[in-house]
Amino acid sequence: MNGAPSPETELVSCRALEVGHAGAALLPPIDVAIRAGEFWAVIGRNGSGKTSWLRTLLGLLPPVKGRVLPQNAAIKFAYLPQKSAIDEHYPLLAREVVGMGAQRGWSFLGRERAASRAEVERALSEMGVTALADRPFRQLSEGQKQRVLMARIAASSADVAILDEPTSAMDAVAEREAFEHLGALRKRRPLAIVVVSHYLGLLREYADQALLLDRDTPAVVVGSVEQVFGHDAFQRRYGDDSCGSRVSA
Amino acid sequence: MTAPAASPVGSADLGAFDQLLAPEAAPSSAPATGLELAPPPHDHLAPGWSEFSAGWQLGIYQDPVLCGILAGAVLGMLGVFVVLRRAVFVTAAISQSAGLGVVLAFALQIHLAIALPPVLGALLASLVATSLLALRSESLRRARESMVGFCYIGASAAAILVGDRIAQEAHDVAAILFGTAVLVRPIDLLLVAIVAAAAFAMVAVSYRGLVFVGFDPEGARVHGLPVRAIELSLWLLVAVTVSVTTRAIGALPVFAFAVLPALAALAVVERLGRALIAAALLGAAAGGLGYLAAFFLEFPVGAAQAALAVVWLVIALALGSLRTTLRARLRRPVAA
Repeated sequence: MNGAPSPETELVSCRALEVGHAGAALLPPIDVAIRAGEFWAVIGRNGSGKTSWLRTLLGLLPPVKGRVLPQNAAIKFAYLPQKSAIDEHYPLLAREVVGMGAQRGWSFLGRERAASRAEVERALSEMGVTALADRPFRQLSEGQKQRVLMARIAASSADVAILDEPTSAMDAVAEREAFEHLGALRKRRPLAIVVVSHYLGLLREYADQALLLDRDTPAVVVGSVEQVFGHDAFQRRYGDDSCGSRVSA
Repeated sequence: MTAPAASPVGSADLGAFDQLLAPEAAPSSAPATGLELAPPPHDHLAPGWSEFSAGWQLGIYQDPVLCGILAGAVLGMLGVFVVLRRAVFVTAAISQSAGLGVVLAFALQIHLAIALPPVLGALLASLVATSLLALRSESLRRARESMVGFCYIGASAAAILVGDRIAQEAHDVAAILFGTAVLVRPIDLLLVAIVAAAAFAMVAVSYRGLVFVGFDPEGARVHGLPVRAIELSLWLLVAVTVSVTTRAIGALPVFAFAVLPALAALAVVERLGRALIAAALLGAAAGGLGYLAAFFLEFPVGAAQAALAVVWLVIALALGSLRTTLRARLRRPVAA
């Protein structure tokens, strides 16, 4: 976008969006509007359609029906995919991976330049991975890789950051730190954050909006965290005491 | 002074060199092509520096050595991207498709009187194969390796079947398809130089995009990079490079240069930019030194170049293993 969006500016919305594969919808239609500065939690069991919804939102998967409407063409997204989507054999330093965050062009000759060293250093510092900067990415532990990829998000000038299970390989301490870093990032600039995670306790603590996807019922519940966590569909699936630990159902 | 080895295949194209290398005109022995029928004489002496120097001054060896160096360098560099994309047999499938293009060009000329230069036929067939291989796995609902197998086997079978109908031209087909690293036509050297320059320029210009797209294609797409276009450009570049270098130096060294220097570089270097440079240098060294080894030891050139690339890989794997062992020892925790 030209200039930082003000809080509450609608960045992207889904209108009667049906997601799925080969023309078959996985879920009922989804209506969601994501605004600048919001922190969204996407909740659901494995195979419930969370990643399909994220990929449709990002334009990586065509919608079965309905539309995804960015507020304007200049809205920039950043994406932290699940582990399997990244080729970890590439001989890159962690610093180089973080530098990709600010990369928008593909050529040295384009107007867009590689991330400045200062941007990369700040992102590394914000995510607490400065000590890993000069180590080969492929030699890091899975949790360390995820922290570096979160630093890549921090280095981006994105308006909407979408993270698909960004802490799945982290220990409990690192997971909490990662959410703290995301929270701090949101306070520094009006970045909309959308996170898929099975750790309901942290989601409840840090997110302000939530989307529950349940393919079995089927159900789609959208609202504030309080509304969604108190909804019958959520209670039926997770019960009352689900927020104290990771839910991997 | 020894007689030169038998004329390389493709003598129709290399007539001038054949004359130059006629026993009375030849200054020294040329590296063997591997296709000679006559056994070497018992009193045969291995050629030395004086023979090579004489041949070099006459300009006989400069073009093939330079061609080997250029082909090794450009294929070594591109090979890093090929290896990292787990597509080493793509180069073999493209090479085989180029062969089909050659025999189709001959068949068109013989049976339909359509004049299509064989090298152009090779290039067109390579590009068609590359387009197939560049299709996304999702749209084909098959893994890429299935398409590689399809292209390789389909092109091989078709080349043999079509070639069966143009048997009288098989000699030229073999020359045009597999080239010979012994002697290189000036036009082939020029084409290899142009393709190498284009490849180095493209990688230099689009390095960031190539890396991002290979490492995280979906993330790159979200960041607005033209992922399909970048991937297609890479594979088209590989196709053209493989076609042109195969014609110039032969299929075996091309496949070797496109795989082994990259594997060697990636075994010892932990940064992609440095791996590209290292692979290019190793490929160039295999191309140039392989020719020298073939000359002095009287081996087939292409095989000597490929064997030298194997030597680089073995050394690199040993060094990589040694480094891993040393690092593990240095990091071993000390008991309190």
